[in-house]
Amino acid sequence: MTAWKASRPLRKLLRDKLAFAALAVILLYAATGLLALFHLAATHYRDSVGPAYSPPGADYLLGTDVLGRSVLERVVHGARIALVVGFVSTGIAIPIGILFGLLAGFYKKRVDDVIVWFYTTVDSIPYILLVLALALILGKGLISVCIAIGITSWVGACRVVRGEVIKQTELDYVQAARAMGAGDIRIMMRHILPNVLHMVLIQASLLFVEAVKIEVILSYLGVGVQGEPSWGVMIDDARIELIGRGAWWQFASATGAMFLLLLAFNVFNDALRDALDPKSAE
Amino acid sequence: MAATQFAYALFACALIACTPSRKNLGNTYRGVLASNLKSFDPAMAQDQYSNMCQFQIYETLLEYKYLARPYDVQPCLASAAPEISDSGKVYLIHMKKGVEFADDACFPGGRGRQVKASDFVYSIKRMCDVRTKTTGWWIFDGKVVGLDAFRKASESLPPFPEQWHPALYDEDVEGLRALDDSTVRIQLTKPYPYFKYILAMPYAAVVPHEAVEHYGEDFLSHPVGTGPYLLKEWRRGLRLVFDRNPKYHHGFYPREGTAEDSAQGLLVDSGRTLPFIDRIELDIFEEYQPMWLNFLRGNLDRSPIPKDNYGEAVMPDKSVRGDMAAKGIALFRQNELDVRYICFNFEDPVLGKQKALRQAMSLAYDAKQGMELFYNGRGVHANSPIPPGLFGYDSTWKNPYSHYDVDAAKSLLAKAGFPGGQGLPEFEYLTVAGSDTRQMGEFFAQCMARIGVRIKVAACTWPEFLERLKRKKVQIIAVAWGADYPDPENFLQLLYGPNESPGENNANYKNAEYDSLYRDMAVMQDGAERSAKIRRMQEILAEDCPWIYTLHRLNELLIYKWVLNHRSHGVLDAPIKYYRIDGALRRSLLPGAGG
Repeated sequence: MTAWKASRPLRKLLRDKLAFAALAVILLYAATGLLALFHLAATHYRDSVGPAYSPPGADYLLGTDVLGRSVLERVVHGARIALVVGFVSTGIAIPIGILFGLLAGFYKKRVDDVIVWFYTTVDSIPYILLVLALALILGKGLISVCIAIGITSWVGACRVVRGEVIKQTELDYVQAARAMGAGDIRIMMRHILPNVLHMVLIQASLLFVEAVKIEVILSYLGVGVQGEPSWGVMIDDARIELIGRGAWWQFASATGAMFLLLLAFNVFNDALRDALDPKSAE
Repeated sequence: MAATQFAYALFACALIACTPSRKNLGNTYRGVLASNLKSFDPAMAQDQYSNMCQFQIYETLLEYKYLARPYDVQPCLASAAPEISDSGKVYLIHMKKGVEFADDACFPGGRGRQVKASDFVYSIKRMCDVRTKTTGWWIFDGKVVGLDAFRKASESLPPFPEQWHPALYDEDVEGLRALDDSTVRIQLTKPYPYFKYILAMPYAAVVPHEAVEHYGEDFLSHPVGTGPYLLKEWRRGLRLVFDRNPKYHHGFYPREGTAEDSAQGLLVDSGRTLPFIDRIELDIFEEYQPMWLNFLRGNLDRSPIPKDNYGEAVMPDKSVRGDMAAKGIALFRQNELDVRYICFNFEDPVLGKQKALRQAMSLAYDAKQGMELFYNGRGVHANSPIPPGLFGYDSTWKNPYSHYDVDAAKSLLAKAGFPGGQGLPEFEYLTVAGSDTRQMGEFFAQCMARIGVRIKVAACTWPEFLERLKRKKVQIIAVAWGADYPDPENFLQLLYGPNESPGENNANYKNAEYDSLYRDMAVMQDGAERSAKIRRMQEILAEDCPWIYTLHRLNELLIYKWVLNHRSHGVLDAPIKYYRIDGALRRSLLPGAGG
């Protein structure tokens, strides 16, 4: 049953050329990021490879920065950070969202009231400030950025899952399962969850994009990753050298890398949503 | 998203702030304040920006000579140099007669009254009252007989706004007395040779008690002084406007100067009554770019040179570029009385114990390249804490560990038992968050990586930084120190054992010989003996290596040529009362400048 359900969206997705290209870009980033993660690429991002502020050219493909470090290596290292942040914070946020969403949607009444109150409260705090505060409490660094983003960005997923679960609990198959004597947990995990997973998938890919963006903003503000080049750190560096010296390459490389990844994700997300939406006919 | 909108809002504010008008310039000086001003209360005169603003309004008994180098002081509200007793401990200061406070609503009838010796005594007592929460108590701490007891007694006073003028102020403090209306007697606990400079610090400014009592907590924004200017307008975060004080007649342009001063046209106005400029407008720019663009358009008369615009303004041979010169812009260069350094915490179990490790790290730091990268080469290589221009500075003396030598560093490290950095933990380099400071940290880490010492660069906010210093929870930090007064003691105290954190000795460095030498030189008049003691202290520091010296900065400013009489001063930021504007020149160089 699962096999049949998955194959139709997959076919639909693969037929979309643009989405396919976007997927290719994402995989390319993932591959680069993985290489950097296992120290197979961009291992010299700390070292001076040439004079300061060399423009892009044959020697330095994307130029060098203030300390003569290769911008290319730093961009690649930035891809690693982006991927780690994207995956880890999504991995934290989605399970929280699913858990609360399932509980609220399934039990309704008081449980729902409490959870809705809770996520409305979390949501009403300006997002960046909350993440900033958490990053300060947890101490700075890559891991705390991931945790901070993770535990503040589950609200969207929770809301969607809750709505969908409320809808599903009214359906016949849930009533049937209940009539057969299945317990709450079994109904939630075995019956309802598989039917809301496609929504979760879309939410996860949206969240990924959001997490990458937030990391860049945090690092730009100086509370993100420390002692490593993230795209946000590079944009912060570039901010001062851009106007004064006209050194545009670091700025262009970091924003370009970020733009391409986010664009690819957005295109892919759209296609994914179209493919998974049961209402869109073949 | 929220952050972006916030950034836009800031940007919009900056735009509004940064459009100084060019209409009807008149006899106006248009300057820059690089940070928000917090207070006009002399008790809070902590940073250079408040010093600069207060200098226009308040006066002290002594003031710095404008042209004299090395730095020296002259009478300001005093009528002559202090009469100092043979012991060096008793100062008798006669005050000028007939100087009046500016007219202000706080005085009966709105007319400012004559300044008396008791005003000085009151001002110091008020500053030392714990309730004013002054940042400047340290300038008198332990130095004046009876003043510490006064401060202690002030702790039992009811908090403000009660008792702006408690009876305690009228009680006699032995070391701080007004003998009559125009004579002050100060008795010191020890013959501090630099006490004359303390009397010239903005903390020691004379304020009228009427203003303090009348304005209460709002005194900080209602300065009432005897100085050359009055505060006309203060739009927080945007701009400050000062008008000439019509009652100011007791300041004169210096008569003495060297042949060089004379050649530079600095003595044209000798002996004339100050000030020459009628109005001062200071625009507040916290970002460099809008300030720089406004300066280039001629909307500001003076500007520092942002690091990344350096190439636009200055040629590689350190002269001002042709197109700048054609606009009438001149370059001024001045040794700053400061030292920038990277400091080891001696409480750290590894860094504090391993002298050879510290020496190796010092040798591995490429100060020259750092100066080039972050200061455009605007600096002097530092061998000791004492900057050029102060007594005790010796340009021929070389610190054996302050040059760049990777090989020597590596062999020292191996000798210390850490070949190639093996066996060493990763050290944390803590700095205040900012793009420049982070880059400096990364540069330090890069230098240390060359000898295998691993450094993690961490950044935090300024309050957090201070807090961690206070609790000694740091390993390696980047700090700077600017002179409070031009005496080497002000720099050497930074490593005096009893000054350890939360004091100013952030290295928590302790060396018995150094401490004893410090106690001697602190109360010694300049001379060969003092010089020898300072030399020995420098040698001890070089050997123990509590700091890696980064540089002594060289301050460079651009200024339009229509500002006459400009000379950079290491202590006074902008003594505008000495400047004169050549209005005709400004009109001819600036199209559209009226008035």
